[in-house]
Amino acid sequence: MARIGTILGEPGERLLLMGNEAIARGVLEADAAVASTYPGTPSSEILMVLSEVAPKVGLYAEYSTNEKVAFEVALAASWNGLRSVVTMKHVGLNVAADSFMSAAYQGTKGGMVVVTADDPSMWSSQNEQDNRMYAMFANVPVLDPMDPQEALEMTKYAFQLSEEVGSLVMLRPTTRVSHTRADVKIGDLPENKKNAVRLWGHFEKNPEKYVVLPSRARRMHPEVLERIEKAREILENAPFNWEEGSGEIGIIVSGISYVYLKEALHKLGIEDKVSILKIGTPFPLPLKKVESFLRKFEGGKVLVIEELEPIVENQIKVLVYDKGINVEIHGKDYIPRIYEMTTRRIIEALEKYLGMKHDVDFAAIDEHFKKVSEKLPPRPPTLCPACPHRNTFYAIKRNAKGKGIYTGDIGCYSLGALKPLETMDTIVSMGASIGLGTGMAHAQKDKRVYAIIGDSTFFHTGLSALANAVYNKAPMTVVVLDNRITAMTGHQPDPSTGLTATMEPTKFIDIAEIAKAMGADYVAVVDSYDIPELLKVLEEADKHQVAVVVSRQPCSLLRTRIQRKKGESWPLYQVDPDKCTGCKVCINAHGCPAISFDKEKNVAVIDEVMCWGCSGCAQVCPFDAIYEKLPDGGRKYDVLDEENKRRWQQWNSML
Amino acid sequence: MEFNVVISGVGGQGILTAEHLLAQTALRKGYKVRAGEIHGLAQRFGSVVAFVRFGETVYGGSVPDGMGDLILGFEPVETMRYINFVKDGGVAIVNTKKIPPVQVSMGLYEYPSWDEIKFWLSERNIKLIGIPAEDLALKAGSALAVNTVMVGAAIKLGLLPFEPEDIKDTIKEIFPAKLHDLNFKAFDLGYEAEPEIA
Repeated sequence: MARIGTILGEPGERLLLMGNEAIARGVLEADAAVASTYPGTPSSEILMVLSEVAPKVGLYAEYSTNEKVAFEVALAASWNGLRSVVTMKHVGLNVAADSFMSAAYQGTKGGMVVVTADDPSMWSSQNEQDNRMYAMFANVPVLDPMDPQEALEMTKYAFQLSEEVGSLVMLRPTTRVSHTRADVKIGDLPENKKNAVRLWGHFEKNPEKYVVLPSRARRMHPEVLERIEKAREILENAPFNWEEGSGEIGIIVSGISYVYLKEALHKLGIEDKVSILKIGTPFPLPLKKVESFLRKFEGGKVLVIEELEPIVENQIKVLVYDKGINVEIHGKDYIPRIYEMTTRRIIEALEKYLGMKHDVDFAAIDEHFKKVSEKLPPRPPTLCPACPHRNTFYAIKRNAKGKGIYTGDIGCYSLGALKPLETMDTIVSMGASIGLGTGMAHAQKDKRVYAIIGDSTFFHTGLSALANAVYNKAPMTVVVLDNRITAMTGHQPDPSTGLTATMEPTKFIDIAEIAKAMGADYVAVVDSYDIPELLKVLEEADKHQVAVVVSRQPCSLLRTRIQRKKGESWPLYQVDPDKCTGCKVCINAHGCPAISFDKEKNVAVIDEVMCWGCSGCAQVCPFDAIYEKLPDGGRKYDVLDEENKRRWQQWNSML
Repeated sequence: MEFNVVISGVGGQGILTAEHLLAQTALRKGYKVRAGEIHGLAQRFGSVVAFVRFGETVYGGSVPDGMGDLILGFEPVETMRYINFVKDGGVAIVNTKKIPPVQVSMGLYEYPSWDEIKFWLSERNIKLIGIPAEDLALKAGSALAVNTVMVGAAIKLGLLPFEPEDIKDTIKEIFPAKLHDLNFKAFDLGYEAEPEIA
């Protein structure tokens, strides 16, 4: 593995930084004292790099149990007069929204920046909601960076703006800003950060502001509107909104679409024919700047280019109406409203808008690509080799014998919905498995309900749902896939890990003990690598009303990484071609990516490089055709012996 | 002048490290750089693509359709899955090790033959250079060094403005010391590799 790019360079240095790393650098340059998050793609790396450097710069960094808690942690820091940042993915703000909407009324003291990373095209998300809408909804200013350099500058600016206005400020990168690496020129670090000074604030009690009773909220609402108009005045002069060019084609462009537009103009060879108004603050929009730009095109037309929703476009249309400006406004009639923006999409829109032609024949490429794609086997993401979840899914499905409803949740284990496991009938949002499961149990009675949830998701929003299930007597089995870490977003610790964000030991919170304390009728902890034991426990669980089965084994990706670093190895499993009948149970019911099928020889084959030593395939093989290859070349067919169970226990205590 | 490299393969093959290796080299050589990648769920043994773009002027982190000079395909099918990003007359350096997706093992899909792949590439006049990158990586000491082998083959091609020493300097910069020799060896084996399929 390549070493992650450091964000602790010298002022003026050019570093290759991912957008998220640039934002983290901005947080330090702004002298923020507190950073909190619940991880979520594409935002996760901001806190990953901040927590890595936190002890060296005196920053307090925490992984909170969900976005709402993370938001509140940062808000309190602001109310203590400290600068704070909370980061989350776009849908994380849905979880934090309750506090976010209140705090928008109550305002801030120390600068507070809410980073919500949008995911156009849904590379790793359940929707592509445009969080600039949230900014408008809450009357909170939002900054929309075009690239990693601007993301760094905007982060610093956002703290300043927050303090000048007394409001939360949202920074809204998208996937292609957060996950693009670029040469970024970094600024200086404040003395506090250089000397690792941990800043402490002071809480001055002020119930008129901090206790949001209805009478006070009524007084606050006009203040919210005043703040947003004050922010608009300031943003008229923000360095992120500018005009360039003096051509006769007028284009207003927001956020990352600017870089695609520049490339499209370059490819079309019409750079000198356009005038651009680049917008970095889509709300509140700098209306004076926009009006003066529009006035230049009176009697003509202007095209508005932005990713996803017509946020800027609609504000401009209102302005044109209110001010009686004689300009046709185009936007979503040429620019797609769904999926992420690309250079090609802008080239195609401009071809239509301006009636011209580009020299790359996209249609020919598409036609060829369509023909090729139809012949390619799909390769959706899949659970890793030795992923403990695979065994648990296999056991849940086998135990239910076709009579199960599987309400699922969000994490790597969402992949259990795909072939060949297909053990997930619903996925809605974080923690929804148990709520949906409770509803399923009260809405039908022909099938047993299995709510399947990971450890981090359990602490996120599963806790209150489990209390609800017990309280409301919902017959169901809650299966917690406890791999002791938040795996999907890059292995951030959670309360089941026993470590904090800065890798200090802390309490390990045992989910089984929580379930017992809540009064679940049956609670069991089982090793995910022991399939017969899983089956036994799941069968017993079916006899009880609310049963909680904690299937525990650390993430295999993390375990093998740790083992590699320590120079340890793991067992290798191989197929005995003389015993393999080609029945494909290992592939069709278990489906580890290390196993493929040799059609000519009619046998399964295990890739030595990809086998991470769990023995799951050997346990599901009906013909005992898979063995552990011993270091001396011998073969061990009894994969459930005491030695293996001891090894799994040892792996279980590795974190 | 701008350089557009597409890197594709299966999550876990070290695609992001190859991206980092090229992008960091470009940065040190004074170019403006943009490198795009996707994280999260998409990385888990699924199909993965990354981009490295550099030059005097660069724009977004993604290579537009039909504008990639070169694709480093860490797996044959994953090369074809992103062939739309490569320009007519471009080059595909392909690791010849096939990794059949679970759907192929289940018998739901056929893995395409080399004849088919060669034909598809020839239709767009894309030059194929197939090298046994995994075998070479194992020879260097670890299957995880496939990425450095692939980068070695890319430098040999002469399309990118880098010398072998430039990449080796970056290896020293971004890998821990104990992995330097392994990666130097992997790079050399990739650089010297004779195409197995072309």
